Amino acid sequence: MILYRRKSNPVQNPEVRLRNEPYLIINIIFAGVILLIIAYSGIFSPEKDNYPVICIHEKLTGEPCFSCGLSHSFSLIVRGRIDEAYHWNRYGLRVFLFFASQLVLRALFSIFYLKYRQTRQQLIIFDCIGSAVIFLISFWPFITNILSGV
Amino acid sequence: MEQSQNNTGQNLGIAALITGIITFVLAVIPCVGLIAIIPGIITIVLATVGLSQASRNNSPQGMLIAGLIIGILASLISISQVVVATKIAQKADKWPEGIQNIINDVQDNVVKDLEDANVTIKVESDGNKVEINTNSNKKDRENKLEDLEGVKTQKNDTLPKKK
Repeated sequence: MILYRRKSNPVQNPEVRLRNEPYLIINIIFAGVILLIIAYSGIFSPEKDNYPVICIHEKLTGEPCFSCGLSHSFSLIVRGRIDEAYHWNRYGLRVFLFFASQLVLRALFSIFYLKYRQTRQQLIIFDCIGSAVIFLISFWPFITNILSGV
Repeated sequence: MEQSQNNTGQNLGIAALITGIITFVLAVIPCVGLIAIIPGIITIVLATVGLSQASRNNSPQGMLIAGLIIGILASLISISQVVVATKIAQKADKWPEGIQNIINDVQDNVVKDLEDANVTIKVESDGNKVEINTNSNKKDRENKLEDLEGVKTQKNDTLPKKK
């Protein structure tokens, strides 16, 4: 009598194993999105001002929003011009630090997740709480802006 | 008894997670947060369809639930951005009137200050210097004018205003 049968052994097939690990998939996708943001900041130049993303908020309301100048700010941070980045958007550095820290954390937590099977549950909880705190600190001006408006 | 586990709905789960994370990043940035509602809805639809498939075929649902939660959160943030933008746009309609009032106040204050100001005019030409000091107070100017004319100024001696 067969109680349990799998079409393929997930331990031997990395693709199936990965599909059964949502945490790892989230980490990979989030890291990919962050890398795309950094690539966007690196490709488009603040001197040429050739950014394809426009501020929809400003177009609709006629008023610049909290995140206006964020693309310029990111580009300047990637190029190491922190002082100029601050002038473009004063929250640019803290938002960039959030993404940079998340890129490092995604890699670290994925390694810990694969290495220490016994503490996976605790690791995910710790990651959720830690990332939520970093997110709140980094995006606090944007959140207060939303809350004050609502 | 045979029990099998398949991956039905997992591709939808990955798609929902990708769109969900991108939507979340977009939603928290006010510049582009307004349009995040569209991928937010797509994320919710993908995750919901995937969940229904997964529950029918007894597949893992963790990724789909994660995608659904991220999609709902991102959509809520995006909706709040829309509400904020709408309120700002409504306020912006009243701003031109407010700005005009401020300009009028400033003009009135400047004119009032100038009425009470001491004015000194210095003219220098070919070594000749002429200095005129006057208190430009309206009453003083009227007195000065009376002295110069030698008669009392009439009340209605000013030019009629342009219509």
